[in-house]
Amino acid sequence: MSEPKISMESLISPEMRAAVGREYQWATSYPIDASDIRRWAIAVYYPEKPPPLYWDEDYAKKTRWGGIVAPEEFNPFAWMRADPHGDMGQEAKRPWPELYLGITPPETRANILATLDVECTGVRMRVGDVIRSVTSLGGYEERPGRMGMMLFSTRLERWTNQRGELVRTYRQVLIRYK
Amino acid sequence: MPAPLNIQPGATVPVFRREGTLQHWNRYAGVNYEFADHHMDDAVGRHEGFEAAFGMGPLMHAYMHTMLRDWIDPDVGRVAAVVMQLRKPFIRGTSFIASGTVKAVIDEGGERHVDLDIWADNDKGERLATGTAKVVLPV
Repeated sequence: MSEPKISMESLISPEMRAAVGREYQWATSYPIDASDIRRWAIAVYYPEKPPPLYWDEDYAKKTRWGGIVAPEEFNPFAWMRADPHGDMGQEAKRPWPELYLGITPPETRANILATLDVECTGVRMRVGDVIRSVTSLGGYEERPGRMGMMLFSTRLERWTNQRGELVRTYRQVLIRYK
Repeated sequence: MPAPLNIQPGATVPVFRREGTLQHWNRYAGVNYEFADHHMDDAVGRHEGFEAAFGMGPLMHAYMHTMLRDWIDPDVGRVAAVVMQLRKPFIRGTSFIASGTVKAVIDEGGERHVDLDIWADNDKGERLATGTAKVVLPV
């Protein structure tokens, strides 16, 4: 791969600025399965064995939660969504909002995560729950960095369950650069 | 060891450590459907300006949750918030070493809200992430 050039040109177009505040993605999960929770717990506890709260229903019934619950950071939207039907979700290589807003994204060679901010309300995600998310564009900022002009895009999500209870809010800031 | 219920400001969260290997990252890629090349291929990591492939930001965020649950006992307490700013990438072959300090303890609505500063370093002592967190325990 050739050495990339450093660029200090602005990456925010007028149509990007005009899109700030818009909702741009709506998704509904498939019902959460016990295996989804068990596999998630195995991954985030590896190489340790995860707590039985996440995989042993008999044990979990005796805790204050009354049954298996998902770890707070669990993502029920991985591996396809129920709605939009067949939607595989954001491609990890190109997770930016412009693709969903119908506007042209700036040309960049890389994206990395800068900030993750998750607040959980205490309504737990459980086996059988269906989670609905609404995503909006929180804003854009840019500032010079060692890689050139850095574009900061803020994505906001709200998750509710099938009873309309707020489960969690999510704020993600992504950095892109040329 | 679970956090004592009489937890006080200044208390520390036991050090949590995970290694930066594809064994760890591929398990997370599998559950989070996160297969970006820069998490798997050193050449792509270098093209993007880093020393090698690097771990997923959401996995580092998940590790902060796991660290806090190891401390509070997930059967009893819950993680209410984790706000994390990434300072440096978690490069393959290095370690993620995290901890936290209690800033405030507030009893409210029949629950104990514990606010913390949290951080993670690599094994060279470089800061990978800083942030804040809240855990909630029964009173």
